Amino acid sequence: MSSAHASRKQYWFIWLYLLVLTLAEVGVANISSLSKSWIVSALVLLAVVKAALVGLFYMHLVHETNVLKWTVAIPMATPVIYAVVLIAEASWRLS
Amino acid sequence: MASADEHRPDERPFPPDAHFGEATPGKIGMWIFLLSDANMFAGLLLAYGILRGGSEVWRPPAQPALGINFTAGLTFLLICSSVTMVMAYAAMAEGDRKKAVRFLLLTALGGVLFLCGQYHEYFGIWHAGLSEQGLDFGSSAYASTFYVTTGFHGAHVFSGVVLLLLTALSTGRGKATIHDVEAVGLFWHFVDLIWILVFTLIYLIPE
Repeated sequence: MSSAHASRKQYWFIWLYLLVLTLAEVGVANISSLSKSWIVSALVLLAVVKAALVGLFYMHLVHETNVLKWTVAIPMATPVIYAVVLIAEASWRLS
Repeated sequence: MASADEHRPDERPFPPDAHFGEATPGKIGMWIFLLSDANMFAGLLLAYGILRGGSEVWRPPAQPALGINFTAGLTFLLICSSVTMVMAYAAMAEGDRKKAVRFLLLTALGGVLFLCGQYHEYFGIWHAGLSEQGLDFGSSAYASTFYVTTGFHGAHVFSGVVLLLLTALSTGRGKATIHDVEAVGLFWHFVDLIWILVFTLIYLIPE
């Protein structure tokens, strides 16, 4: 019972973090004094943190074995590398 | 004295595996499905990123901007539905099926409200939707990538709602196990996780 209670507490803390991070995202997106590259970097970082919180705590990856963690992390990371290369190339062609 | 597990063999912890611990084949299968699904979303988001990165003007001047505040509300709704989903799992872990069913139905309600919000965003319920404001599918890369990506996500929300309702029914009848609830939960949290990325990349990145 106590472990279930502890999990519930953790679930609500994660919910609170996700709420605060979402508000932070909306705030960052509306800052007109920052350059676009800073805004994009901050938004992507916030989104990655939010996605990691959901994956680790709500999808229980934090409790899984390292093999399962890597089985998930590697296929998830591959498109990111591909995206960085292709989007950078598309932007470079434009400049 | 016989333990409760002996009466419900399907709810016993799975025999520990050297590589995957106590993860059930169902859970590993769901993860493999989610990884393939994640790469489908990655394809859509990649196409969006490349098209946007290579365009001088992304949004045609005659087409409407996307509403951030309303969609932030939808994001909040999905986050709330994720917390009700883990509460359903926690209730199952305690053997409280009635509570689990209530939380599963609440989660499904969150999904239905999200879909209503998305319908309003596209077609308008209480004011003009994006399609009435000139954001027509096929009229620009901006419009097409928006509808394809958010529509594909919406189809996932719809599938999730159907799965949640079926699982709630099965849980209420005493058939679904904690492993079934966890597998549906994985799918639902994945839908939330993808929305976090879609919301950031499609809605929040400034012009």
